[in-house]
Amino acid sequence: MSNTRKKRWRWPISPETVRSVLSSHSVLGLAFAAIIYLVCLTGTIAVFAPDLQRIEVPGTPVAMHLSEAAAARALTEAVRQTPSDSSIYLTMPSPAKEGATLVAFKPGFERNWAVAEDGTLSPLDAIWTEFLIYLHICLHLPRSWGGFIVGLTGVALLSSLVSGILAHPRVVRDAFHLRLGGSRRLQEADLHNRLGVWALPFHFTLALTGALLGLSTIIVAGLSLLLYRGDMTRVYALFLDPPPAIDARTVPMPDLAALIAQARARMAEAAIDSVMVERPGRADMRISVHGRRPRHLVVQDEVQFDAQGAAIHEEHPKDMVVGTRVLSGIGQLHFGWFGGPVVRVAYGLLGLALCVVTSSGVTIWLARRRDRGRPAPQWERIWSAVCWGQPVVLMLTAILAFVYPEVPLAPAWLILTTIAIVLCAVMNRCSGEYLARLWRRGLVVASALAAVLYLGRALY
Amino acid sequence: MLVASLFLLAAGVLGAGLLRTSWRRREGAAPALLAGGWGVLIGAILLAGWVVGPVKGTALALAMEGIGAFGIVWHGRVRKVARERDGKGEGGDAPEPLDEPGRVWRGVLRTLLAGPLGMTAAMALAFCVTVYMPGDARTRIVTGGMLLPVLWGLAMTWTLADRRLLRATAVLVGTSVLGFGLAFLGGILSGAST
Repeated sequence: MSNTRKKRWRWPISPETVRSVLSSHSVLGLAFAAIIYLVCLTGTIAVFAPDLQRIEVPGTPVAMHLSEAAAARALTEAVRQTPSDSSIYLTMPSPAKEGATLVAFKPGFERNWAVAEDGTLSPLDAIWTEFLIYLHICLHLPRSWGGFIVGLTGVALLSSLVSGILAHPRVVRDAFHLRLGGSRRLQEADLHNRLGVWALPFHFTLALTGALLGLSTIIVAGLSLLLYRGDMTRVYALFLDPPPAIDARTVPMPDLAALIAQARARMAEAAIDSVMVERPGRADMRISVHGRRPRHLVVQDEVQFDAQGAAIHEEHPKDMVVGTRVLSGIGQLHFGWFGGPVVRVAYGLLGLALCVVTSSGVTIWLARRRDRGRPAPQWERIWSAVCWGQPVVLMLTAILAFVYPEVPLAPAWLILTTIAIVLCAVMNRCSGEYLARLWRRGLVVASALAAVLYLGRALY
Repeated sequence: MLVASLFLLAAGVLGAGLLRTSWRRREGAAPALLAGGWGVLIGAILLAGWVVGPVKGTALALAMEGIGAFGIVWHGRVRKVARERDGKGEGGDAPEPLDEPGRVWRGVLRTLLAGPLGMTAAMALAFCVTVYMPGDARTRIVTGGMLLPVLWGLAMTWTLADRRLLRATAVLVGTSVLGFGLAFLGGILSGAST
């Protein structure tokens, strides 16, 4: 690797093709810039969802260990508090995720709790964190449409990564250049390229897993049309356990602590990761205990029991096909929830890097136009409203969730975003740089206010 | 995990540091430094895969080494005096995108090629893989699913860069028709055999 003329790196693509690819990189990046930026920004914050939930709901217990008896107590209490046909899912504390959580769900119903070390439940309704996660995964649109748009954004990001590398013949020559403070365009280009190249495996993983998660509905729909005459349930059935035969008679709950202990004995190499109770209190109840081995990304051990507490099914790593393992790991890899706080911080930093890559891409285009005597001041102002305005708007929604928890956050976010963009677009007398400065100050104020409110409540 | 993360961060710093030392030499790259740098980076990934777990360790290594390497880039940053414009100086000879006269119909056609038609062609190829690849159905479905965004992304890159729109249209339409036809045929045959 050298920046001298002695041994010049020969890029395998002709300069003309490089310019064409750069042009395509530019077009695609600009077309998707705002949505890529929004998805990256919300995703970066969503990495810290477990921490945000605890900040949002003060006094949330963080269990470092949960005994079988405590787990059974938590499950029994949840069963008592929820409709009989709900499913109950308990996640145990682990080195990757501090604290135990429990969710009860059925179509149109969901309740979340944090579980204390003695098995008592405390409600965990973190409305802002939930708003943020749904903004990231489906933009608060209907799930399949929103997911498709986010998946398409992932594809655009993948394509931009490929074209960005192909159009970068100076990748070796500039590998370590970071020239700040000179021309705006050179500074932004250096940031864009260095952050894009050195974190490329991370960006690629994130874009691919995100695209796959978003496009899953359309993939299943297409495959079911080809293979099963449009019956999507047959594709899902390949990955999910078939539901037990219906038997709605009421039965007493079995000794859950004993079942968890039995499952632990059957999967000696794994730590209990989660327990799921389907159709609790009914004769067709099914209790699944999942275990995770320290070196594995996803749970690969499972023991299932019926309503009488008899073991009906057992699965271990050797029984799992590669496809199921890969599918289970996609979410873990995408959100970085596999390695505890240190991985979350790393994902947060790299997610921030991806936000900078996206933002600097637009800034380079705007600076290039200005350099060529064709400035686009309105777009400069609009981009300031997206790049710096979105963090401010998200902070404002966090403050709103604190002050008026009953206000629907998704419409509030949409209104604030629209106002920010329209206002910046029509403020002809202000430059984009000036507005960006204002937004940055606004971000400091809004962040400080949100921190005072949430941390103040958590501490007192 | 903390110890492994710090080790991988340090490996990223060391590996990128060696590469940067070679890169800075005015008399040309030093093969020993290059080999050492890449050796540290790749070796740490392999070690993480072995110690932490194949997928978990590799993912952790790629994330932490990326941060460590950028730390080296940041450490070597230079401050320049602000000027109105940088002409053909440092970075001034970077490639510029092609300036093409904007025509609405070309824009619409390119959008269609990169969007719906690119998706259809990518889907056709991915589903062909799913239908004809040997092995368990779940693995085939996930492989096809992972191929779809990659192929679509490549189709996007190509169609937006290729100025011969007719060629791109023909290739994408042909791939879609042929791919879906073969996948459908394979689907019927596999359905008939089960």
